Amino acid sequence: MKVDLTTRIKSLTLKNPITVASGTFGTTDEYAGYVDARKLGAIITKTITVKARAGNPMPRICETSSGMLNAIGLQNKGLEDFIEHKIPYFKKLGVPLIVSIAGESAEEFGKLAKTFDGMKDVVKALEVNLSCPNVEAAGVGGMKKQERIADAVKAVRGQTNLLAFAKISPELGDVLEIAGKVLAQGMDGISLINTLRGMAVDLRTRSSRIAKDFGGLSGPAIKPVALRYVYQVKKEFQVPVIASGGISNAQDALEFLIVGADLLAIGTANFVEPQATLQILKGIEDFCKKEKIRGLDDLRGSYEPAGEKGEGCNR
Amino acid sequence: MKTKKYDEEALLLENKKVNGKYFKLAFRSQNLCKKIKPGQFLHVRVNQGQDPYLRRPFSYFRVSPGRVEILYEVLGRGTSILSGKKKGDALKVMGPLGNAFTEKLGKKKRILVAGGVGVPPLVFLAEQYPTEYLLIGTKSKAELLPKSELKKVRAKVLCTTEDGSYGTKGRVTLLLEKILKDQHPEEFFIQTCGPKPMMEAVITLARKYGVDGEASWDESMACGVGACLGCMVKTKDGLKRACADGPVFQFKDLKL
Repeated sequence: MKVDLTTRIKSLTLKNPITVASGTFGTTDEYAGYVDARKLGAIITKTITVKARAGNPMPRICETSSGMLNAIGLQNKGLEDFIEHKIPYFKKLGVPLIVSIAGESAEEFGKLAKTFDGMKDVVKALEVNLSCPNVEAAGVGGMKKQERIADAVKAVRGQTNLLAFAKISPELGDVLEIAGKVLAQGMDGISLINTLRGMAVDLRTRSSRIAKDFGGLSGPAIKPVALRYVYQVKKEFQVPVIASGGISNAQDALEFLIVGADLLAIGTANFVEPQATLQILKGIEDFCKKEKIRGLDDLRGSYEPAGEKGEGCNR
Repeated sequence: MKTKKYDEEALLLENKKVNGKYFKLAFRSQNLCKKIKPGQFLHVRVNQGQDPYLRRPFSYFRVSPGRVEILYEVLGRGTSILSGKKKGDALKVMGPLGNAFTEKLGKKKRILVAGGVGVPPLVFLAEQYPTEYLLIGTKSKAELLPKSELKKVRAKVLCTTEDGSYGTKGRVTLLLEKILKDQHPEEFFIQTCGPKPMMEAVITLARKYGVDGEASWDESMACGVGACLGCMVKTKDGLKRACADGPVFQFKDLKL
């Protein structure tokens, strides 16, 4: 039995639902020796900003229970370098590209959107990163002022008709409220969640184990939280959702599909198992074969809500 | 495409304590043993579960046909789990990662300056390539490698301990400075691996005496392949990734 893994998101048709979370798959070919990226449904790039960013000082990462904290700080070489050196690589690779963008102002968001609007042969969608935990203006710090979120989203929509997903997290405020607002401003879907801010203390120095007080927590530790938000947003708005947050194996991926996720962005798991994406894809396929599920759309959103008396299943 | 890398499920051949501080772990690998060079590292999963989740980087200690050895210190949860592994257990290992120390130095004489967990890759280097001096600094005698682990090293091996329990009392840079002062520094090339304060002191001395060299620079890593940008090192050409552009950097390129 062949399982139809095709994933349709509005005008975009992908061969499967597996992608990589922004910032976890290098900037181009870092994983080329380990995994055939052409087998992915899509690739989400590391976040691109207009100007180059050096990022935060070291140490930028530390391990925590079932996960890690990072304070990379959106290090990237900026828009020009991306167009000159990275776009040609992705064009050759031929995998649908979702470019993650972040601006320090609405103008910058607009400029990024306009630029990628002109590259529709390679760029198939935008992920508007409104929730980086490690930068000021372009991240959760600045975006907490919700009118800035609205301005950023409007600026993007004003410059492109590319599919656009707003990447949000509970760090910004009420997820459902924010999702409702950005969708009203013309976003096609929601990407969630980003990392959640956390801390880790070194007992000897009594200071943070990374160079900032807080870092973004990722990995299996945040999966239940991500799953809950994906479920809630999907239920409330029925819009395309890119799910990320601790997806580490096929079991996790299937849970996200059942609550309705359209795309599954594998993140920290790539650092542990470079083949995680393809292993998860195979696991989904195997499960569908075993359960005689012909296409993913038969599985997607099939979650049975708990009964009113908490019976767990109301079938 | 990048050069061939391996991600294998390797069988443990040996995992035992070699002194007060270090464990030696050996595993079987037909591929890795042929490819690895001193200075490169391995990325190891110490368990199959999710806690701890990340891999750990280890430098190579020694290779022989079909066999790879690493030497490690039990420092935290990951290495503690690793120390409980037994012969016959499987271990997920990925490598070889990163660049290597320069092997052929031409007319220059090699001085290796090692401290703590920096000892294994430099012993590996000294076993394979002509070396004038191997200088080893530890806190006390308990952390020194047993003599049997150093017998293949063809170099003058000099040790310092901070508490004076073995060799010269003090820091390893004392020995280095004496050599550079008494001999012709321009004839030497230094290769160093160890705790950062030690390497910084070595580089300061090297600059003072006008000697070139290389340091294996370590930062906390997640991916090990250059993807996450967690382990950046400041160089004169901007930020470089310790895992993929390093870990070995020329003294003259490091911005300290």
